Amino acid sequence: MATLHTEKPPCFIRKVTVLESIIAAIVAALVVLVVIAAIAVVRSRRGNETPMVGPRVSHVDTLAFARDAKDGDGGKVSSTPMEAPGQAVGNLKTRFAALGVLVAGIFGSLTAKLWSLQVLSSSVYEERAENNLFVTVSTPAPRGEILDSTGQVLAKNRSAQTVLAEAEVATDTDVLRRLSAVLGIPFNILRQRAADSSAGAQGQRVLAEDARLRDVAFISEHADAFEGITIEMRTIREYPYGALAAHALGYTGSPTQEQLDGSEEGREILSVDTVGLAGLESKYDNVISGDHGARRVAVDAVGNVVEVVSETLPTKGSDIVLTLDSRVQYVADTALAELIAPGDVIGMGKGVSGAAVVLDVRTGAVVAMSSFPTYDPNKLTGSISEDIWSVYNSEDSYAPLSNRVVNGLYAAASTYKAFTSLAALQYGFADGSSTWDCTGSWDGFGSGDIQKCWNHAGHGVLDLRGGIVNSCDVVFYEIAKAFYDHGPNGTGELSETALQDYLKRFGLGQVTGIDLDNESAGRIPTPEWKTQAFRNRPADGVWRGGDYTNMIIGQGDVLVTPLQIAVAYGGIATGTIMKPHLLQSVRNSQGETVVTYEPEVVMDLDVDPSDLSFVRDALRGVITDNKNPARLFEEAGVQAAGKSGTAEHTEKPDDAWFVAYAPYDDPKYVAAVVIEQGGGGSEVAAPLVAQLLQATLAADSGTSDVVPQRLVGSTGQVVEYKGTSGERED
Amino acid sequence: MAGLPQIDSLMGNASAPRAERRGKGLSFSPLIIMLLLVAAALICYGLVVCWSATSASTAHSFTRQLQGVAIGLVAMVVIWHIDYRRFANLSTFFLVVSIVLILLPHIPGLGTDAGMGAKSWIRVGMQIQPGEFAKVTIILFGASMVARYGGKLDDLREYLKCVVLMLLPFLCIMTQPDLGTGLVYLFIAATILVMGGARVRYLLVTLALGIAAIAAIFAIDEVIKNSTGDYKLLKTYQRNRLLVFLDPESGTSDISYNLSQAMIAIGSGGLFGKGFMNGTQAAYGYVPESETDFVFCVLAEEFGFFGAIVLLVLYILLILVCVRIARSSDDLFGMLICMGVVGMWLFQILENIGMTCGLMPITGIPLPFVSYGSSFMLVNFMMLGMICSVCSHKSALGKRGVYATPR
Repeated sequence: MATLHTEKPPCFIRKVTVLESIIAAIVAALVVLVVIAAIAVVRSRRGNETPMVGPRVSHVDTLAFARDAKDGDGGKVSSTPMEAPGQAVGNLKTRFAALGVLVAGIFGSLTAKLWSLQVLSSSVYEERAENNLFVTVSTPAPRGEILDSTGQVLAKNRSAQTVLAEAEVATDTDVLRRLSAVLGIPFNILRQRAADSSAGAQGQRVLAEDARLRDVAFISEHADAFEGITIEMRTIREYPYGALAAHALGYTGSPTQEQLDGSEEGREILSVDTVGLAGLESKYDNVISGDHGARRVAVDAVGNVVEVVSETLPTKGSDIVLTLDSRVQYVADTALAELIAPGDVIGMGKGVSGAAVVLDVRTGAVVAMSSFPTYDPNKLTGSISEDIWSVYNSEDSYAPLSNRVVNGLYAAASTYKAFTSLAALQYGFADGSSTWDCTGSWDGFGSGDIQKCWNHAGHGVLDLRGGIVNSCDVVFYEIAKAFYDHGPNGTGELSETALQDYLKRFGLGQVTGIDLDNESAGRIPTPEWKTQAFRNRPADGVWRGGDYTNMIIGQGDVLVTPLQIAVAYGGIATGTIMKPHLLQSVRNSQGETVVTYEPEVVMDLDVDPSDLSFVRDALRGVITDNKNPARLFEEAGVQAAGKSGTAEHTEKPDDAWFVAYAPYDDPKYVAAVVIEQGGGGSEVAAPLVAQLLQATLAADSGTSDVVPQRLVGSTGQVVEYKGTSGERED
Repeated sequence: MAGLPQIDSLMGNASAPRAERRGKGLSFSPLIIMLLLVAAALICYGLVVCWSATSASTAHSFTRQLQGVAIGLVAMVVIWHIDYRRFANLSTFFLVVSIVLILLPHIPGLGTDAGMGAKSWIRVGMQIQPGEFAKVTIILFGASMVARYGGKLDDLREYLKCVVLMLLPFLCIMTQPDLGTGLVYLFIAATILVMGGARVRYLLVTLALGIAAIAAIFAIDEVIKNSTGDYKLLKTYQRNRLLVFLDPESGTSDISYNLSQAMIAIGSGGLFGKGFMNGTQAAYGYVPESETDFVFCVLAEEFGFFGAIVLLVLYILLILVCVRIARSSDDLFGMLICMGVVGMWLFQILENIGMTCGLMPITGIPLPFVSYGSSFMLVNFMMLGMICSVCSHKSALGKRGVYATPR
């Protein structure tokens, strides 16, 4: 359905020329002259006749007006004083003259008014007639498709029969009941939809999208019984793979009021348009949406189109090709779903939600981006049913709409140790020969507040590599203490944010710049931040040594997104932080590639190469020297280097982390997985990482046999989850 | 009507034998030929406009209009034949006939409002508007009544009697209600009174009283509105119609929309118009009632200022010829018939064209010879027939229309 909006016609406005005005003036003058002349003729004729009237008066009397022959009343009339014949004639003359003046006045004023309307203001009225007659109707343009890097179509358009209702139908129970019977939609839902004025008070409401042809035929055939109901072919967005890559793709719908009000330059959004509301659909809306077609039509007073004057066809929006590989994406989506919600019930598996992301470390291309619980964008396109909306938005169902890869904020846990150990090497608080003795507990500050290593039995004597491989907390507590001791509270050699500033080199605590909206920045805690955060309780806002020890193992106030961790590990793998991106190229409506994404380097790591290779070796050791990961990655046939993490919470089960890149000696891909409340990282998250890297490398080498299937969104079914905690063994 | 002074018709007067009368049946004096030529031109022009106006409408058939013209021609010739002086003494009869005609739509089963609000139509096989035909009888009634005074209506009681009797049809038509037609009746009455020799002082007082009455209606209505919150005397649409011409762009009502669309149609016609059948305002339904009350819009839009001026010139010619015939009439009755007809046409032309271009309040009055509607077309032909009859039936003595001098 196109929207009517009037537009000033650019042409057809005829200016009254001087010549025309003169002609009109002459005509008007002539008309006045004719009237005056006519009056003059009448008067002069009367003047000529007057002398003849006198003698004939008596004849008239005798012939016709013998009124005095009458009785009573007649007598009264005749009792009035006699009038001289001349006076009577004069009287009549005056009255004819008066009539002449009246005639002249009437026709004179009509002529004057017509002249003013048709000659003087003609152009104004012509313009208004044109405005009446011609309107420009915008026809929506089909959106471009979204494809993955292998050419699979992830989002396309489909035309569907849409059942629309006029505003009045909301109160017409009869029609709604009949429709309910025909369409098989509960009456209450139909009534709600009919009452939904979000598309404008007078606008048509969508009662059913994608109605069955047979129902539509029935409604059309019985139009009398369905007053106010119209059927229209509308294009609706279709996501053939359902929930696959839902969070990256986003979804579409009717424009919000803000979008309508704040149409951007060169992009006109009409209420009938479909616009992207989330994800890439929203981010690249300007690219995907085409140009409206315009039909200039003549309409009659009722609004029926009488004639199409001109028509510009709508231009289909550009297609966008993503870096996502639907095969890897499928593996990520299904693996997360199977792990967290076997049988589509959250709480039956491990963890309650999770995120997985795979990047190409060389370019920053996002190969897979998965967040669970997930949703089916098909169900959010067009009219969203109330129950779906509440399932997708509620905290009880763990917010399926939330994209945890870019918006999920987690404690980084031991995955942080790769960065903090590099910081220790940089500042000389550790080197390849440093050793520490882990007894299972640590009170380096002598405060009596004992901090424990995850291995309460203690690791014994460890060097830095052993500290990373065994993820020994005590080793890092010592490094933290070194930072503290050299800070303002110690020798003052370092600033109090030396560690934090170093961590920023990996892009932590700032948005990665991926092409999705509202990315979360995470947090690297600083004394300044703590003071600000605890400004209401200044006593608690003091930066202490314990903040260093917490931060250095990625706990405490540290917050990261899975994407940040993946990007930062990509940096460790290659020495370069790449900007992650989902867009690979843009193809215009003719199928030509018009834009190709150029990989963007955020920064080259300012890290000593020998330090970097030391940490890489340690990360390789994490996978080869630990029993569980070693078995997993060997089974997967992936030569990876990585790090586990287990974020501990006081009130809920641990979050499981694992991040790894592969191949370790020629890094191509990095995968990061976090399972919220999943438990131990190497136990819960590592299998997924191994699986993802295996799938990615297989897809990369062309040996993947994964065939993506259509996925369903989360059901919203949740049972109470009993997770494990304090069983950390990373 | 017994109280009225009776006059002898020429028919009944022994001193005016039949043989003395010149012009038996149809006679073609130059005046009549002119009248017929002008009328023929007007009717042709009107039919052209009507063709365009009805082409877009399925509810109006051009054929019916042609039938109206055909029936009208017959009626005109028949009336032309009849010596108008036969009717000189039938004022009571005409008054009764007028009132019966006007009240006909009130008879249950017969009357219909034809979906237009006012009950102005009756259905006898086809829909006709008896109020239109009453115009004929009202002219005959008024002329015959006033003619009796021989041009000297200066007795207050007689004057008042005339005024009151001539107000009767107006009051009757207001029960439909049809203000437009009622105003036509009043204008006919006024013309007959003026031309019939009523004392100027009485006329002026009557005019003043009339204006005062209109002002009083609006004033009282305002008072009623202030006390009850609603207008009672005039319906809202009537108020709107009467007042909208003062400021056509002001209101948001349908009436003001109609008026501005009508003005757009006229104004957009420009100097030479958009061309026959090329109008858009009327054809696409922007102008309401474009076949009947607003037919002038079609003309002005398609034929422009020149087309409108041609129509006005034809009207002026028609009226001048009628006035000439009135002046050449050899008795007051004939003269008053002609002037009644002239008064009616004058008012309808002024009101119809005036309302479409925002000069006059909006009332539903058709444009003579142009508007769609067989009733009014027939009435116009009857009027023409009466004028022809006046012109044709003159006494052998060739008296010219003058006031008689009572003996």
